Amino acid sequence: MMKQSEKRGWVGPCIAACCILGAAVTIGSPKHSAAIDLGNFDHQGQKVFRSYEATPETYLAADSGDRNLARFYELRQYPGSPPRIPHGVEASFSGDESNCLSCHGKGGYSPEFGKFVPVTPHPENTLCYQCHARVITEKAFGESDWQSIRPPRLGRSFLSSSPPPIPHSLQLRENCISCHTGPGAVVEIRVEHSSRGNCRQCHVPAVQTAPVNEFVRPGP
Amino acid sequence: MTTTNNQGDNEVTMKLNRRRFIRHAATSSAIATAGALFPGISFGSWPQLANNSGLVSWQKAPCRFCGTGCGVLIGVSDGRAVAVKGDPNCSVNKGLCCMKGYHSVQALYGKDRLTTAQVRKNGTLVEVPIQEALDLIADKLKTTRELHGKDSVAIYGSGQWTIPDGYVASKLFKGCLGTNNVEANARLCMASAVTGFMTSFGLDEPMGCYEDMDHANIFVTWGNNMAEMHPVLFSRMLANRKRRTNVRIIDFATRSTRTSQAADKSILFKPQTDLAVANAICYEIINRDWVNWDFVNQHVSFHRGKTDIGYGTEDHFAFKDQAEAISFEEYSRFLEDYTPEKVEKISGVAAKDIKYLAALYGDPALKVTSFWCMGMNQHTRGTWINNLVYNIHLLTGKISTPGNSPFSLTGQPSACGTVREVGTLTHKLPHGVVMNQHHREMAAGIWDVPLSNIDPKPSYHTVEMFRALDRGDIKFIWIQVTNPMVTMPNLRRYRDGGLKGDRFVVVSDVYPTPTTDIADVILPAAMWVEQEGMFGNSERRTQHFAQIVDPPGEAMSDTWQIIEVARRLGFEQQFPWSKEDYIEKIWEEYRRFHAGPKHEMAPYSVLRERSGVQWPYVNGRETRWRFNPKYDPACSNGKDFDFYGKKDNRAWIWARPYEPAAESPDNTYNFWLNTGRVIEHWHTGSMTRRIPVLHNAVPAAYVELHPEDAAELGVVNGEMVKIISRRGEVTMPAQIQGRGVPVRGMVFVPFFDESYLINELTLDAFCPISKQPDYKKCAVRLEKA
Amino acid sequence: MPVFSYLATPKRGAKTTLCVDLAALPYCEVIPADNQDLVVLITDTPDETKEKELQKRLKSVQSLQSLSLTFGYDDHEQPGR
Repeated sequence: MMKQSEKRGWVGPCIAACCILGAAVTIGSPKHSAAIDLGNFDHQGQKVFRSYEATPETYLAADSGDRNLARFYELRQYPGSPPRIPHGVEASFSGDESNCLSCHGKGGYSPEFGKFVPVTPHPENTLCYQCHARVITEKAFGESDWQSIRPPRLGRSFLSSSPPPIPHSLQLRENCISCHTGPGAVVEIRVEHSSRGNCRQCHVPAVQTAPVNEFVRPGP
Repeated sequence: MTTTNNQGDNEVTMKLNRRRFIRHAATSSAIATAGALFPGISFGSWPQLANNSGLVSWQKAPCRFCGTGCGVLIGVSDGRAVAVKGDPNCSVNKGLCCMKGYHSVQALYGKDRLTTAQVRKNGTLVEVPIQEALDLIADKLKTTRELHGKDSVAIYGSGQWTIPDGYVASKLFKGCLGTNNVEANARLCMASAVTGFMTSFGLDEPMGCYEDMDHANIFVTWGNNMAEMHPVLFSRMLANRKRRTNVRIIDFATRSTRTSQAADKSILFKPQTDLAVANAICYEIINRDWVNWDFVNQHVSFHRGKTDIGYGTEDHFAFKDQAEAISFEEYSRFLEDYTPEKVEKISGVAAKDIKYLAALYGDPALKVTSFWCMGMNQHTRGTWINNLVYNIHLLTGKISTPGNSPFSLTGQPSACGTVREVGTLTHKLPHGVVMNQHHREMAAGIWDVPLSNIDPKPSYHTVEMFRALDRGDIKFIWIQVTNPMVTMPNLRRYRDGGLKGDRFVVVSDVYPTPTTDIADVILPAAMWVEQEGMFGNSERRTQHFAQIVDPPGEAMSDTWQIIEVARRLGFEQQFPWSKEDYIEKIWEEYRRFHAGPKHEMAPYSVLRERSGVQWPYVNGRETRWRFNPKYDPACSNGKDFDFYGKKDNRAWIWARPYEPAAESPDNTYNFWLNTGRVIEHWHTGSMTRRIPVLHNAVPAAYVELHPEDAAELGVVNGEMVKIISRRGEVTMPAQIQGRGVPVRGMVFVPFFDESYLINELTLDAFCPISKQPDYKKCAVRLEKA
Repeated sequence: MPVFSYLATPKRGAKTTLCVDLAALPYCEVIPADNQDLVVLITDTPDETKEKELQKRLKSVQSLQSLSLTFGYDDHEQPGR
């Protein structure tokens, strides 16, 4: 049983890595498109490339293993909800953006927490406490009947050998490398071919919670 | 962090921490291994729906909470709301929410939701079928009217009422039952904004819109902690400051907040002296000749009203302002009492800071947007301070153009839509006021009731309504979508009043609250997207939401509750709609009140499709800036602006003096008490405290103290402080150097926590013009508990 | 004070029983996966004797198919003990 599972775990990434060899990355030249805000279309695709450019290769390949999916979802109320702040913050926690972004902007090792820091996928939003709540107590005000859907399953390629699709919405999560590469990445979803920057060359957004639309040729 | 005093304790703590760390490492390692072995394995922390299809459909709605009116998309799976994301199609928030919005759907699923009707029998609440409760309500309404007259019954609603909720309430009480005893909690939050607009412009609601933020260079927040109260708008301001080089934020407040910290400059003033500072800014603008004369000569007229107008703390208080036209010279002479140097002495604001503010407003090259909300509205001179900030914008002509905007924000999702536009206040009708014969005729016509039904005399505003309940002038009150037994100032009197023997209190709500505690009948209400409805936000935007999930048990929309009672009272003809399309039918009937280019509302079909539509909606186009002919189809004078709300076609500048607060600190009660909100909780917390993330972030209220005051009192963080006013006392934990720091001699308490009823201490003094109480200023003393 | 974590595989269809069985043992924490037949078990015993007792009891759990160690730690494991 162990052997079999091991195989399953490795086949996907290897094949994914093979099929993007020698891929050329082309970014639209802004010459003739002065009116288009490059940062603002295609799920802010430009951001992915920029952040990739800015990330040193050694960092991309680094591997710490101390952040896993269980912990990732423990901080959330449903897939895609803003995570709570899992560590103490000053009582004044007052939106000095450099406080949060000094660590969560670029990532890296935090001696204070003994961990690699997760990187925010949306550093342009600087009013961090607008969405991310502290945890002062775990006690509830009253019981809740809250339930939500299960988190997206991993490794669900459409074909046995095809790269897995992106199972979640890209809203506020346009920057793939912040969660999927580097030592602060979530273990289960870390990519092993981080030397390739054009993620969406192979990985197509196919939100798991949306119905699969089949192509039907429009009638004449 | 754990603090320990002796070495032994410390070692134990360290060992425990290390132990916890090792266990954590063990857990992580097992889960990581499992993840590597079984791709897709999940250990999600929330309870997961059994037999769930895994598919989520997204439907638009406005957020349930504040007046910003963010568009949200509610994720629904197998009939349950399971997730939220920001609606990228909504221009209000462009896909971003705040923590309340993201977790809003969890508020639907608290285990103590009210799902059945309850009736008090021999002192205890007993569950009954909802139809029986509705029978009882109709019967009580009828007999109370017969015994004690038409003005012995009242309805008290909310800025969280949907537009149809408020509309049917007004139609039943004002149109059918003939009483003007219709009020809403927006009286406690927006009334001064309304009277400010009416006195300065003759028409309610802002001329500008949120898009002003993308054009303005200077933002001045007047007593307005936007970073916590309107975070989505505040982060849009921050984004603009980051993107454009010439943007500055000035926070003008009585207490240091997150907004002050994010601002480029924080200016603190003594409570109530904003009146003096606003006048001093105008003095400086005139003195430096920064007046925009073209604008002033063509579009402005000058007025003064009564002074020394009282505070309304006594029952039956009455006041009527009288406008008197004055010349610019008279206005200018009036301002001589407000030189920056004189005002420095009153306000504690350095003359150079006043001059700095005046220079920003006065610089023709800068576009200035002023924001305010409760700081200016919950003010015993609330109407005046609204007028005075308009004065600044009018003298400089910085109004009704992109980026130049005096902008009054709202606190509730439909304070504008339901209370101000539908007119669920004692003196209002959906179009106009009860005092006006034409407006009454229009209402009687559309409502299909005899003209004589509509009483031309307003009855009780909110504070007076609860006083009347206490006195026994009102015997029956129906409270919907609000929690006055936490929010009324001078609370104890009004709670005792509601509990008196022959008062009959009906409460429609979604959770048990201190208000349902005093109810004789509780009706379970459908919440937010469990019903169809519309809200109206701060920028004249009407936002429709469909019923997305089913209400629990017998819960029923507030609109339908009122319809059921109206029919039992014999008004089938006025309330003929079917459950299938009542919201559409009500909307189309209501829309007739606003026909015409000044307030045309979008048809139902358009509202259904879009993530909010701004009125006036004329010929398929929304109006972003009113009174400006480039944008506003109602302008007709051929000039570059048309302030068509006033008979003289001008906006009015008012000479309004500084007058002190109703109660100021003295030798015995030596501190100011200021109350308000925090980002995590909304109003009385009856919804947000049932959202785990939000409750866990701020589980209880506290009193914020200045560090030096705390040291003098001898309290440290978390120690209990007793706060005592002339009306009551409360003992609660101190917070020092938290997210807000009051100035010396002031304490601040958030009001969301029903365990610490801070409103037992506050004073029921109000602005004599708007009748809105001041929750920001009364005198208290402190003791270490 | 030994701390261990394991991946526990239940006998066919016995995941729920396994969780109950394991949770009933002293010093055990159980985290079931919610979409796989797999359970994470963390044991945290006060000393070597208790640890041995527990291991014996674990072996006798009927619903358990296999147990694989993923993490082990014992801070009293000094040389010359």
